[in-house]
Amino acid sequence: MLRKTLAGRHILLTGATGFVGKVWLAMVLERLPEIGKITLIVRPRSRRENARMRYEKVIDTSPVFRQLRKDHGANLGRFLGARLEVLDGDIEKPLLGIGTDAVFSLAGRVDAIIHCAGITDFQPDPLRALKVNVFGARHAAQLSRRLSVPLIHVSTCFVAGMVSGDVPEALVPGIAPNGQPFDVNAEIRALQQACKEGDAVEKVGTRIDIGSARAKALGWPNIYTYTKGLAEHIITQTKDVNWTIARPAIVECAHEYPFVGWNEGLNTAGPLAWLITTSFRRLPTAPDNVFDVIPVDEVAKGLTHITAAAIRNEAGGVYQLASSDVNPLTFGRCVELTGLGMRRWIRKGGGTPSERMWSQHLDPGPVAQHQQGLCSVDRLLDFTAGLRDGLGSVKSDKSLPAKVADSGVGAALDDWLASARSKVYDSEQQLKRIENMLELFKPFIHDHNYILQTGRVRALCEDSMPGFEWNVAYIDWRHYWVNVEFPGLQKWSIPVIRGEKIPSDSPSSPRFELEDVHLQERVASK
Amino acid sequence: MSARPAAFFRVEGPIISRSAKVAAAWLAANSQEISSRFVRLGAVALSAPLALGGDRTLATCAAWMGLRGMTEDRLVILGEDYYEAYLEDNLAAVGLDLLARAKREKQEIVLVSEHLECIIKPLADKVGAKHLVCNRMEYRNGRATGRLLDPVVGRLGGTWLKNFAAQHKLDLSKSTAYGAGDADVALLSAVAFPCAVQPDRSLRAAARDLDWPVVGA
Repeated sequence: MLRKTLAGRHILLTGATGFVGKVWLAMVLERLPEIGKITLIVRPRSRRENARMRYEKVIDTSPVFRQLRKDHGANLGRFLGARLEVLDGDIEKPLLGIGTDAVFSLAGRVDAIIHCAGITDFQPDPLRALKVNVFGARHAAQLSRRLSVPLIHVSTCFVAGMVSGDVPEALVPGIAPNGQPFDVNAEIRALQQACKEGDAVEKVGTRIDIGSARAKALGWPNIYTYTKGLAEHIITQTKDVNWTIARPAIVECAHEYPFVGWNEGLNTAGPLAWLITTSFRRLPTAPDNVFDVIPVDEVAKGLTHITAAAIRNEAGGVYQLASSDVNPLTFGRCVELTGLGMRRWIRKGGGTPSERMWSQHLDPGPVAQHQQGLCSVDRLLDFTAGLRDGLGSVKSDKSLPAKVADSGVGAALDDWLASARSKVYDSEQQLKRIENMLELFKPFIHDHNYILQTGRVRALCEDSMPGFEWNVAYIDWRHYWVNVEFPGLQKWSIPVIRGEKIPSDSPSSPRFELEDVHLQERVASK
Repeated sequence: MSARPAAFFRVEGPIISRSAKVAAAWLAANSQEISSRFVRLGAVALSAPLALGGDRTLATCAAWMGLRGMTEDRLVILGEDYYEAYLEDNLAAVGLDLLARAKREKQEIVLVSEHLECIIKPLADKVGAKHLVCNRMEYRNGRATGRLLDPVVGRLGGTWLKNFAAQHKLDLSKSTAYGAGDADVALLSAVAFPCAVQPDRSLRAAARDLDWPVVGA
């Protein structure tokens, strides 16, 4: 059914440079080459590098496209040229910024729009998040209406907000997560207005505080879920749009596609795994709460099924791409597996000497927020602040007798104190970073226990084809976390936190280019 | 289908030199909480007097009892790590030669081990053993109860061996067994071709008395 539905179909995709978008695109091109056309809406990087050139670089150097490059070799430009079209666009502009000519040329050709683009930072500038997450969704809905095609909007399960228990695959328009009715347009205007007053005009931090407060007042834990939530309500309010919402949970390393462990950028588990690699060993989590993780390739498969159903006019409403209702992974288990993954990774040669020391002797463990004891971040910060002040108050000329101070011991002591103060300062900065990170993640790892329902998506994926089976119920979390997720995070995600460069593939020479292949030529070449 | 010849290998001794108690102690020393490591190590240490007292099966049960409360995840992952770190590169050459010979002679290989399955299964996979008889921990809600599931591999009796052979259609009258300690006497006595491999003093004496071949002395 999937192959039959998607053969020859034309799909328009936003967010093709992102983590989920790239994996979905590569998977469909590789496993469903019968697809008619995929139009990518990509923001040009500069006047010199239009969207097409930018995406050619992505195809040429991103590890996601390795298999396609290997399979098609010198013919990749032709293979992809027949199936891909890259348009300059900007989701912050009406009709996704593709221009009226492009809209006109797409009319009657496109079968569905997948809107995957968005900001995934938990606490971005709310004005920027409004532009990208909320207005981007509005513009995608407008284009969907103009082209009279279904819109598949990629959201997040955590628009459910600060709730615990079963989260259904449903959306009640105009009702916030706290159960109160609200007007989405009025809320957007109020947020914009608040960000135009006083300090907020100049200071991003103030705007973030304002956005966070408004989010929490409606029951969303942060600006990310708030703006994604507002986007869902905006879409439902756009008239004459055939909308479907796909909500992934926490998207993590690939189980098998494009290859084992692939990840990109900072996702939720990356910072948590990084925390565990630091000397901070007690993660404030509720051990029995569920950490709803889903590998990116399962998201791509689910999204393909949802798109096919939308094209068949059998979708609509909300689908949750999650694991907690059929194969839950608890935080307690996750923290222990992360420690075990760390041990294995280090045994195989990974890690720094200090990481080796910690991992060998101190395993991480979950701890309740109120039971952190001496190792709580607050206390450690107090301790480092006290130590810093103490070191700052010591002066060789005042602490040592004049003869000793002048004999060279004083200079040596000053050097040592400067070095010690610098180390304490670094530790303090790292602890502050950890404190901020824990505050951001607390709603998800400690305060709320989400059981995300996936009955609708499971029913949709029952009739599958090889390469698109929905395998979430069968994921062996022990194997996945230790052998897939942890090494994947170490290679592709944690270096980002450390400010290191993520490896990419070498660009080809001559430069890779998509060929202009017309449909007639493609049919003739079959 | 007629019964097939088998080659029974006691793992501890002929193939690996480390005792299963060492593995139990290592796992105990790597439990999640530091405080529990000492308690568990103490529990494993208590099994030593039982072994010296001659009750090998009870000593085995006592050693693994020290892991009670550890998660299945931890035992499985650390078990695999223990095999890779300490056993894989230290397999006895004489044991590997005998395994290769048994395979050449088309005998079904049966590994018998006091180690937990999570530690020794990679060895069974590596040598192509058809059967693995080893200790398996009982788990409840993902945590070890400390009890071993039947059969507990310590001193295995001849009755167990006969039942096992009947169940898997193995012909003991054409089978070989390799052991290294006095706990293996019953195993070796039940087959047609017993062989002591790098035996301890008591098995060496038994082998001399019963005229069993001794290799790797």
